[in-house]
Amino acid sequence: MRTDASTRSLAMRLPSLDKAAVWIVLFALVLLAGLASDAFLKLNYLTNLVRQAAPVGIVAVGVTFVMLLRGVDLSVGAIVSMSAVVCAIVMNGLADNLWLGAAAAIACGAAIGLANGLLIAYGKVSSFILTLAMSIVVYGLVQMGTGGTARGIVSPGFREVLNGRLGGALPVLVICLLLAVALGIFLQSRTHFGRSVYLIGANPEAARIAGLNVKRVTVVAYVVSGLFAGLGGLALLARTGVSGTNPGAGMEFDVLAAVVLGGTTFAGGRGGVGGTFAGIMVLVIALNLANVSGLPFAAQLTIKGIIIIVASAAHSWIGSRGGARSQH
Amino acid sequence: MRQATTGAFASRDIPRIYWALGGLILIGMLSAPQFRTLSNLANIVEQSATLAVLALGQAFVIAGGMIDLSVGQLVGLITVVACMMFEAYPGMDAAVILGCLALAALVGLVNGELLNRLKMSPLILTFGMLSVLQGVIFMLTDRSVGQVAPSIAFLSNGRLLGVPVSVILVVAVAAAAYYALQRSIFGWHLLAMGNSAESARKAGLNLFSLTRVAFLVSGLCAGIAGLLVAGRLGTGFPNAGNGLELDAIVAVVLGGAPLKGGRVSVAGIIGAVLFLGVLNNLLNLLQVPAFTQIVVKGLIVIIAILADRPGKAAQAA
Amino acid sequence: MRRYFMPLVAAAMIGSFTAGASVAQDMDLTKKETYDQIMTWAGEPLDTSKYKKDGDLSIGVSAGYLSNAWINFTAQSIKYEASLHPEIKELKITDAAFNPSKQAADIEDLLTSGVDAILFWPVDEKAILPVLKKAHDQGVVTINIGYNFMRDPAVTSNAYVNQWTYSEQVATEFAKSLNGKGKVFAMLPIAGSSAAVVQLAVLQDVLKNNPEMELISAEYGDWDRGKAKQLTENLLQRFPEIDGAFSPAGQMSMGIYEAFDEAGRLEELTLSPGDDYNGWTKLVAKEGKWGSVTSGLEVGREAVKQAVSILTGKPTTTAVVVPTRYLDAGDAAKLNEADRPDDWFKTDLPAEFLPQ
Repeated sequence: MRTDASTRSLAMRLPSLDKAAVWIVLFALVLLAGLASDAFLKLNYLTNLVRQAAPVGIVAVGVTFVMLLRGVDLSVGAIVSMSAVVCAIVMNGLADNLWLGAAAAIACGAAIGLANGLLIAYGKVSSFILTLAMSIVVYGLVQMGTGGTARGIVSPGFREVLNGRLGGALPVLVICLLLAVALGIFLQSRTHFGRSVYLIGANPEAARIAGLNVKRVTVVAYVVSGLFAGLGGLALLARTGVSGTNPGAGMEFDVLAAVVLGGTTFAGGRGGVGGTFAGIMVLVIALNLANVSGLPFAAQLTIKGIIIIVASAAHSWIGSRGGARSQH
Repeated sequence: MRQATTGAFASRDIPRIYWALGGLILIGMLSAPQFRTLSNLANIVEQSATLAVLALGQAFVIAGGMIDLSVGQLVGLITVVACMMFEAYPGMDAAVILGCLALAALVGLVNGELLNRLKMSPLILTFGMLSVLQGVIFMLTDRSVGQVAPSIAFLSNGRLLGVPVSVILVVAVAAAAYYALQRSIFGWHLLAMGNSAESARKAGLNLFSLTRVAFLVSGLCAGIAGLLVAGRLGTGFPNAGNGLELDAIVAVVLGGAPLKGGRVSVAGIIGAVLFLGVLNNLLNLLQVPAFTQIVVKGLIVIIAILADRPGKAAQAA
Repeated sequence: MRRYFMPLVAAAMIGSFTAGASVAQDMDLTKKETYDQIMTWAGEPLDTSKYKKDGDLSIGVSAGYLSNAWINFTAQSIKYEASLHPEIKELKITDAAFNPSKQAADIEDLLTSGVDAILFWPVDEKAILPVLKKAHDQGVVTINIGYNFMRDPAVTSNAYVNQWTYSEQVATEFAKSLNGKGKVFAMLPIAGSSAAVVQLAVLQDVLKNNPEMELISAEYGDWDRGKAKQLTENLLQRFPEIDGAFSPAGQMSMGIYEAFDEAGRLEELTLSPGDDYNGWTKLVAKEGKWGSVTSGLEVGREAVKQAVSILTGKPTTTAVVVPTRYLDAGDAAKLNEADRPDDWFKTDLPAEFLPQ
């Protein structure tokens, strides 16, 4: 936990308009939704939406670190599936195995993240292709291990507690998501690791010369991503119960979209967990609006694509105006 | 810059993937008696034609240091549109084929143009485009539609003097790609851009036009691949292209091209596509259980990219 | 030139849209008569003499996908049934993972390895026809185990669950349990899949005879418990009154149930019968209502028996039809195996053939 003046000042120099953009969009969207339907602004409705976003949101927090480093993690969808399946199998319907199951799931996520990180940092291969291949391996392992049927049984109490509402109002899963976001913000702004991620992402060469251990930071970032994916798997298991052997299928792409929407583009060193949270909410609210207004599935896909392109273009436009100072 | 690109020009040695391909073929010869039959080999090359064309298109984009994730859904779109049109306008095969190729090239051009104007990551742009195209496909149809013209069925499944027609097509596309990427000034410039966009710009290259052409070729190849898929399936199946973009990228990388651009080998890509085709075929013939097959394929990709990584230091992430 | 870009794109898109107007459908899946016709076809005798083979048999299975519990149990019952026939010396199973091109390649590979019969679940009924024709031309028996009946010269036979009857049993019992009135929604499988098309058509057919029932929304939950839950949550926000949910797939019914439960509106809910998914029958046992319609898991074993009959030249019919049965809550509850996972089906498979 070094409080190095130069690292801190860099974090502060990040363009503020860039960070604000996604929040402005989110605010406008909430306003729009509120005008469209008076049910929307009810606490119950809003917390429900956030709860739906919990699994994807938790995973996105971890992936943000990888993308700050100009990397990408396409294996998180497969890790989520593995985490949910492994957790239920270890729990085996017994209350005593609850913590063991959760620990096994998180350990699986971290282990795959470690493998990703080591191969990327020391094997010097592209994160895109490596994590893509890793997702195939993990998916295959889950299918092999289960024979295609999700054989696990969740411990009694696990889903009841996580699906409950604190004080009858605030869903426990929403608290979990907020905790994950808080943990991510802490990691990103209060630890040496977080500041290193920003420095390396902004300029790997300069960071190396400045004496940062680029390889180690890279490995840790992928472990963090795997770890949060493991947690996301637990959240998904809590929300939906045992639901097939590939419940996380395709989640990596929703996560990617959310992180980019939040301002962590591939430029590296820009964005952060806060923006990612806002990005997730923008996606969830936009798709909920489309859904509730009865827009057909095909139109929803198209809208999702356009949102991703426009938001990302807006970020790069704002970045090129206001973010000149962050370039070296 | 010059040094690096001449390096790409001069690499006449056999791409490393051919060692793996040779090894795989040897295993096949020794372990599966049905493997070496002519009809099986013809099957493998026929099964690989779609991916070969798609990967050759992707090679242009990757050579320039970019990526095109939209090609899989573009294949699906062309498959659907082609089959609808073939059914609606029987006998007008040539017009429909040209129309489909033009549509595909246009989508590629739009990608390139948007990239030039919006100055965003190609990964994100084409990922957004993937979703848009998928939406367009489902607006057109939610199930298999139309039928394929005999000419396209012949292109995908026919034989000329015993040689699969699709193979002749792949050879032609590969020859054109080889000339464009490894023998022409355009290819030199594209690889220079992939090596370092900054120095390429300083050297006075028109990066906008290079980007546009690269994506146009990628779209056009997706169009040809879409017609090949239509010929093989005989119908416009809306999900026909799901995930193909990732297979194409894997093939280009296994063929020895790093994703950050600047280096590409057409021979390597053909070798990689054949490698993947033989692998699928052998795993089936040797009766490897379906789920084990998935793990084996994933592991082989990881091992292959680790073995074929560039000697010089790459980006950390 | 550049400024004409977007108009050109728009024109191309519109052009392709208008071309899509004429879509031919071979069998109208939304008409009861289609299924009467299918049942007539199914009963026709099949000339097996040209397929008769002496000696050992080799059977190939081409699955459109395997990563689903129902398919998985069916695949296991195929293995079990094959083990009961000593003349079957080989059983080869391939998985196309939803990719129709891979399925075509898989079937070509099965042909290369010399199988005598191919049992298949198509990724898509039309897209599989060209490669089935290859198999047929080589004299290989092809048997469809997919959702739809296939009538084509390249398809030798079908092992078939009548989806109209199945959905009708679900819809009729549902209407009965609501006394023929109330606001209901439908939770259907993947949009555009034949399952979704049939189930919706049957429901609308049954609603015609129950004018006091109103269909307020049709949702597509992709056979996914989580997605069904999320869609139901949205519906609960949208509609202050919902009396029932038509959901023939048990795993989606579970998602619906949870959404109502968490919204504190469980007493409003009447669910249609589900299937024999273990998670669902557990729920039926717990609630003591709602029932099940069996999903026809025997279809895998029947397909193997049919293949053997055809290859040994025994007389048989064009298709074997596996019946589905309605079970009331009491009988459905007996199916549930409390110590088994949710993602499981009740079968009579011996232990060594259960999914490992």
